[in-house]
Amino acid sequence: MNRAEQWPAAMVEVVDTLVDDVDLIDFLRHLCDRCTELLDVPAVGVMLSAPTGKLQLIAASDEHTGLLELFALPTDEGPCVECYRTGTARLNIDLRVPSQVSAFPRFAERARQGDFVTGHALPMRVRRRVVGALNLFDTREQELSETDARVAQALADVATIAVLQHRTLVHTDVERAQTKAALSSRVVIEQAKGILAERRQATPDEAFGAPRRHARAHQFRLTAPSRQVIDGSDVVRVIQRP
Amino acid sequence: MGTDNNLAAVLESLQPSPGDTGLISADPYLCAQLLGVDGVAVCVLTDGGPGELLWSTGGTGAWLADVQYTLGQGPCLDVAASCAPVFAPDLSRLPPGRWPALLPEVVATGIAAVFCFPLSVGSACLGTLTLHRTVPGPLPDSAMTDAWLVADALSAVLLRGGPQQEAFAAGETSDFYGAVVHQATGMVSVQASVPLAQALLRLRAHAFRHGRTVAEVAEDVTARRLHFRDAENGPETGAGEGTGRP
Repeated sequence: MNRAEQWPAAMVEVVDTLVDDVDLIDFLRHLCDRCTELLDVPAVGVMLSAPTGKLQLIAASDEHTGLLELFALPTDEGPCVECYRTGTARLNIDLRVPSQVSAFPRFAERARQGDFVTGHALPMRVRRRVVGALNLFDTREQELSETDARVAQALADVATIAVLQHRTLVHTDVERAQTKAALSSRVVIEQAKGILAERRQATPDEAFGAPRRHARAHQFRLTAPSRQVIDGSDVVRVIQRP
Repeated sequence: MGTDNNLAAVLESLQPSPGDTGLISADPYLCAQLLGVDGVAVCVLTDGGPGELLWSTGGTGAWLADVQYTLGQGPCLDVAASCAPVFAPDLSRLPPGRWPALLPEVVATGIAAVFCFPLSVGSACLGTLTLHRTVPGPLPDSAMTDAWLVADALSAVLLRGGPQQEAFAAGETSDFYGAVVHQATGMVSVQASVPLAQALLRLRAHAFRHGRTVAEVAEDVTARRLHFRDAENGPETGAGEGTGRP
């Protein structure tokens, strides 16, 4: 089983134990409250995928009981479900316009009964995998600006991290390596620049001009030739050439 | 609601937009203002190395990262090792055994309080967010909450990757604070015929002996004001030029 396949199993474990974890639920509820303040949206909820594959409301801003009722009913439709499936945000949905809610008519009807007019759903995502959705519902006809949408996505990201944080999932190494690998690769390149600069008595950037042009021309990464500079195998190859 | 607006602005802008070159694009000064501190710095861990400075308010914030890198001790290294936050709201009241080499230098610089948060996903630590202040005292609850939000949002940004990260990894962007240190490490390894790890240790040792940071010493090496040619006799300064400091 590779890492990507392990990941949903680990996520299931999280959701299984979430209900017992007062701290995390508290944190997510607090996050929902912060979200209502920052974005001036009255109802915010965090949904995660449950073992059954269905989304489950884990925390909500406590102002609005309508939201809890909306999500209390078992459902496999709604903007959050759509967002979870596609991994893309769905913003500024007018819940009264049939063409906008054609994928989830029953959900929209219940939402309208709860006096909600506008809805937004943002994916909770780690790299390509979606673990849930952050949902915002408004009783007013009020659009999220582009800036608001970015704030909302940042908060959805925070919720994602908090959920991951919480368990020792992590021996799956979740995609943690991305930034670390980027940095490590960059460090190697800079070290190789220094080595070449010293060998050729040039500035680091001058010394690295040729390898860089070569890499660009042949569209390969600089990390491998940089490693050869560091372990000296670039020199060995030159010497061995007849 | 000024604070909330600032929090929204910081969260909104953390993720780099197309065309940005940095890995983190928010304004660090706005972030410091939001959290009521004098400076912020984000370091990201590499394989086997100490944290690399990626984003900071510069000046004292960058210096604090440098001096920890140089001395090999400090809150960032502790946070990276434990993946738990380290708060020192009053450095003058720390026991002297804590960070013995670092503490006097930091206090002499006028830093009175340091708060260091892990950028983590589960038990994996990606890096650190460090806040510092010249006035001692705990971080108020609201700032503490916001600092955790910013730290988690930073973790998400770093996890997400994207074109900026690829360009950075390929060395296509020039704005890498640590570049000069690693270039100098490569140069010293040739000058003294030692492996890279040992070359970096030499740079750090030289910095330590002269009360400087490794970044400052590295500048001298890449500018060829300082050479480490002879492994036995230690570094020598280049002819006709000083080391940049008495």
